[in-house]
Amino acid sequence: MKPETIKNTRRHLRIAGAVALALGMAGTTPAVAAQDPGREVIDKKCASCHLEDGKLTRIPEVRKTPEGWDMTVVRMGIWHKVELTADERRAVVKYLADRQGLAPSEAAAFRFLTERRPNMQDAPPDEEMAQMCGRCHSYGRVALQRRDEDEWRKLMHTHLGQFPSAEYSALGRDRNWWEIARDKMPGRLAEMYPKNTDAWRDWSRAKHRPAAGRWVVAGERSGWGAYTGTMTVTAKGKDRYEVGYELHFGPGNTVRGKGESLVYTGYEWRGTAQLGNEQTQSIFALSEDGARMSGRWFLRKADEIGATFEAVRADKAAKNALVSVSPQMLRAGETATVTVAGAGLDAKLDLGSGVEVVEWLGKSAEQLKVRVKVAADAAPGVRKVAVGGRESDKSVAVYRRIDSVRVEPAFGIARVGGGTNPPVTAQFDAVAFLDGADGKPGTDDDVRLGSVPAKWSTEPFDERAKHDEDLKYAGHMEPHGQFLPSFAGPNPDRRGLNNVGNLSVVATVADGERSLNAKGQLVVTVQRWNPTPLR
Amino acid sequence: MKRLRALNHKAHLLEQAATDGHREEVQLMSSVVGCTTTFDPGWEVDAFGGLASLCQPMEADLYGCTDPCWWPAQLADSLNTARDWTDGKNSALRDWRELQTLFPGD
Repeated sequence: MKPETIKNTRRHLRIAGAVALALGMAGTTPAVAAQDPGREVIDKKCASCHLEDGKLTRIPEVRKTPEGWDMTVVRMGIWHKVELTADERRAVVKYLADRQGLAPSEAAAFRFLTERRPNMQDAPPDEEMAQMCGRCHSYGRVALQRRDEDEWRKLMHTHLGQFPSAEYSALGRDRNWWEIARDKMPGRLAEMYPKNTDAWRDWSRAKHRPAAGRWVVAGERSGWGAYTGTMTVTAKGKDRYEVGYELHFGPGNTVRGKGESLVYTGYEWRGTAQLGNEQTQSIFALSEDGARMSGRWFLRKADEIGATFEAVRADKAAKNALVSVSPQMLRAGETATVTVAGAGLDAKLDLGSGVEVVEWLGKSAEQLKVRVKVAADAAPGVRKVAVGGRESDKSVAVYRRIDSVRVEPAFGIARVGGGTNPPVTAQFDAVAFLDGADGKPGTDDDVRLGSVPAKWSTEPFDERAKHDEDLKYAGHMEPHGQFLPSFAGPNPDRRGLNNVGNLSVVATVADGERSLNAKGQLVVTVQRWNPTPLR
Repeated sequence: MKRLRALNHKAHLLEQAATDGHREEVQLMSSVVGCTTTFDPGWEVDAFGGLASLCQPMEADLYGCTDPCWWPAQLADSLNTARDWTDGKNSALRDWRELQTLFPGD
């Protein structure tokens, strides 16, 4: 062996030993950890830069979600040309998210961001946070990280060095923004989102229930409707699973599929599956006791198209655990067939005052199906559903007539597609409401009844949109409320414009002889070239 | 504003909002997650939740955004992050189809 090679080998050994010591703080012994492929990536790739006086720098000082770590790892590739294989990328993200992740309670408020729910608004806690962080990206991207003050300050320096225009976005022309960013924000952020918390200490020490087993699932896919079904999860290694799905969207519309999943941080389920003929991705969270799961699945190539997801574990311990009640709207004076899905269900169902079970159509531990008669004088409003004498968090709403309809989202975004960017569609729902105690629509006490079928149309949002003929160019609305945007690129037929547009989305809902209208706004806008998982 | 006169559509909108007493309603970043409404202008939506105040067509100003790192969360910034993003694609109006998305799939 040449002296130079020996020197390099010794250096690598020193680095590996130092890294093992540094990460040993996270609760792993060097001998065991050395076998972890994620740990090997840190030893071989990350430590090349992140090592000072025998200690890892930066990396041990941060906690993040799996997506947060993935974005960090990718950033190191883009900024510093760190080359990782797909396997190495997955391994290091898994290693870090497991040891330096977020406790379920820490990630709960921003699950909509993790789940990539489209057309959501996030709310920074105050104007200062909004101005400093939320003018370029979501505030949730900040709130899903944990650091101490010094490390938050380093993040400020990173932003200034890497993105000098932050000065303008952070209102640098109107105030001494850098003094605020450097001196005030790190302390505030460390107070709100500190590295060391009781929640993380408890979660990282606790043993968590594996996801393997049978689950009863339910959810709603906008434009398709509600579904119930089963998910069968089989362990295939540590935190790895094979998954089988059977989802019933309604008579004659059953979707079956298979896939796999990996659970990070003891509860963060990330999966892929082929459901029917669609390639899908799932982002779920196991509940802290491991008895429930919830989240969202969506199309791999179009994450705005997806469905809500809720599941209960169907094992011997399950006792009257409900996952769905369908339909959720019952009209006074009529009869209806109601299906309750869940696990460990007793054939004893209470749908609340004025709703009488007149016939049992099916009884099993996972499904109750009944014919109900709703009294003509039943009081309009929401009733909690109880099974086996235990009240659940599911409800049905009795109504005489729909008082108002809202378009959800009230403000939606679609993006023109072309080149390397697929189009981003926008799905709208018509949601029925009762006026509530004040007898007025559009107020806080309105009672949400649920999604209802609607006829959809679009109009120019304002005079400018009318003048620019946005309706003609921006795309078209499908019958089920999904707007398909036009092609990207400048349109020579529109002077100085591409196919963007500002439209009103109109839902027309029939309620007996009556017809109700509601409007939302749709901005058909330009593509983005940085489709990060957290935006 | 006494000595300033609105000359273009965007300026008229701003003036009108202030005159109509809507100054407080124009909340920056009250828009959809991941969309920016910051003036100068916004990337996807303007501060009024519309498009009228954006650069139009976007392609005409795209490199005016990427070169000075103007919307690094939405676009490649060719100042630091992706310096070769526009190499060989000298005209955004003509070559926009060739521009690659930044974040690699998993």
